[in-house]
Amino acid sequence: MTAAPVALPEAPAPQGGLRRWLSSPIGAQVTAAVVFIGAWQLLTVIAPRVPGPADVANFLFVEITGGSHGGIVRGQFFEHFAVTLQRFLLGLFFGFVSGLLVGILIGSSTLARALLNDTVLVLLTMPAFVWAFLTTMWFGITWQAPVLTVAFSAFPFVAINVAQGVRAIAPELRNMSTAFEVGRWKQFRHLTVPAVAGYIFAGLRFAIIIGWNGILLSEWFSGQAGVGFRTRYWFDANRYRGFVGWVIVFIVFIVLVDRVLLNRLQARAFRWRDQKEVDFIEIQEEQVGL
Amino acid sequence: MAQVIINRLKKTFPPPTKDGDPVVAIGDISLEVEGNVFVSIVGPSGCGKSTLLNILSGVETPTSGTVSVTEGGRAAHLGYVFQDARLLPWRTVMDNMLYVRDDGDAGETKATRYLDMVGLSHTHDMFPGQLSGGMQQRVGIARAFSVEPDLLLMDEPFSHLDAITARSLRDHLQELWSATRKTVLFVTHDVVEAVQLSDRIIVLAPGGRIFDDISIDLPHPRRATDPKVATLQAEILGRFEEMHPAPATA
Repeated sequence: MTAAPVALPEAPAPQGGLRRWLSSPIGAQVTAAVVFIGAWQLLTVIAPRVPGPADVANFLFVEITGGSHGGIVRGQFFEHFAVTLQRFLLGLFFGFVSGLLVGILIGSSTLARALLNDTVLVLLTMPAFVWAFLTTMWFGITWQAPVLTVAFSAFPFVAINVAQGVRAIAPELRNMSTAFEVGRWKQFRHLTVPAVAGYIFAGLRFAIIIGWNGILLSEWFSGQAGVGFRTRYWFDANRYRGFVGWVIVFIVFIVLVDRVLLNRLQARAFRWRDQKEVDFIEIQEEQVGL
Repeated sequence: MAQVIINRLKKTFPPPTKDGDPVVAIGDISLEVEGNVFVSIVGPSGCGKSTLLNILSGVETPTSGTVSVTEGGRAAHLGYVFQDARLLPWRTVMDNMLYVRDDGDAGETKATRYLDMVGLSHTHDMFPGQLSGGMQQRVGIARAFSVEPDLLLMDEPFSHLDAITARSLRDHLQELWSATRKTVLFVTHDVVEAVQLSDRIIVLAPGGRIFDDISIDLPHPRRATDPKVATLQAEILGRFEEMHPAPATA
């Protein structure tokens, strides 16, 4: 008796060039960008006060290179950007380091958790613009206001994430370290920090995004220089392409930091996870009777 | 040559439920171990074997009684092999070996020697995730020996491994022990394993008290298939049955 023929599922039809292009990572990204710019262009037709992509690109070119642009002084892109970046990095440094220390404290001591956890949670709910207002009220139009806005906005995100990470450290590894009398500093470097690395990155990501929002708001309200100040300058001058141009600068900056810097740091910190198991060594050894 | 003195040791844990009784892990144990001996602590689950090692290593504190682990009048230096390897997954094999040592280059030479003794010198730069369970446990054993402890505590180190891997690791352990002759306290629930490895077997009964203390006078290394070893195994298993009478059949 022969078995009845089984109907095999039909092989998928060969995919067309467009479909293959769309499903490739680069193709999808390029297509999304083209669709976005097209939609933006369309919007300028419906709402003529919205500056178009070409307009904004032209503005950015002039703002960066310093060409002539209607008689207003410009070509100051790098100067303003450098001012903001300095303040941002300084604020992020303070927010990150204090968040790391407080997070470790909350994660490792029940007393510190009881005392500090709620405070950090309250800080977490404070929007960045509140810090921008408060620091301006406290320090006036100074460099401290934007720096502290970044630090205050970034701090609770780092602290909460790190605290969670510290509490998630395997107690078996802690006990092993105690049994071998490994010193505290060595435990911190080789056990705590790597175990918490994923949480540190998550906290840092939030801190960067929230801190960047904070600095722009702070400079908008109280800056004499910087990216936020420059954005307001063009807004007040009724030059919307200038405003939109600088908004694009913020976005590009954040995307670049996230994709290029953080992703690479993360890949480096987690290279131990990406190694393949090497079974052949075990097989060889079993053969020689080890 | 470490000296372990355990005197009227008791350990109870808080009740698991609000109205329950405290859990007695160790009822009352007094014990002395001295010299270059391999001592196994055997007993069924929940008789306080691992708790005893945790107290000796300082991870847990006794409820009452005293323990002292000394070497020539000073506190003894300890090594520990756990049920699982407990390696830092984000550090290479060599960095894991060096994590428990305080001496830079000298430590690396020693670490290399002990890795070599368990046949893993080629794994220096690998991460634990790249090794099989058996290989990870061998790193754990090499790590414990490499600190050159006065007393080596081993807590069911082969219980998570398959029978074949466990057997080859027992042979490794016998070689290492014959070469170093450390004082070893080895916790296991496997009588067969205990007879193959030990000079002395301490049998614990449920409730955490000593049921039996047996000396084994056979030369090392021993093979599990050696008739003398097999006879002793049967005899000690018989004593176990006295502790746990077989259920009556109707």
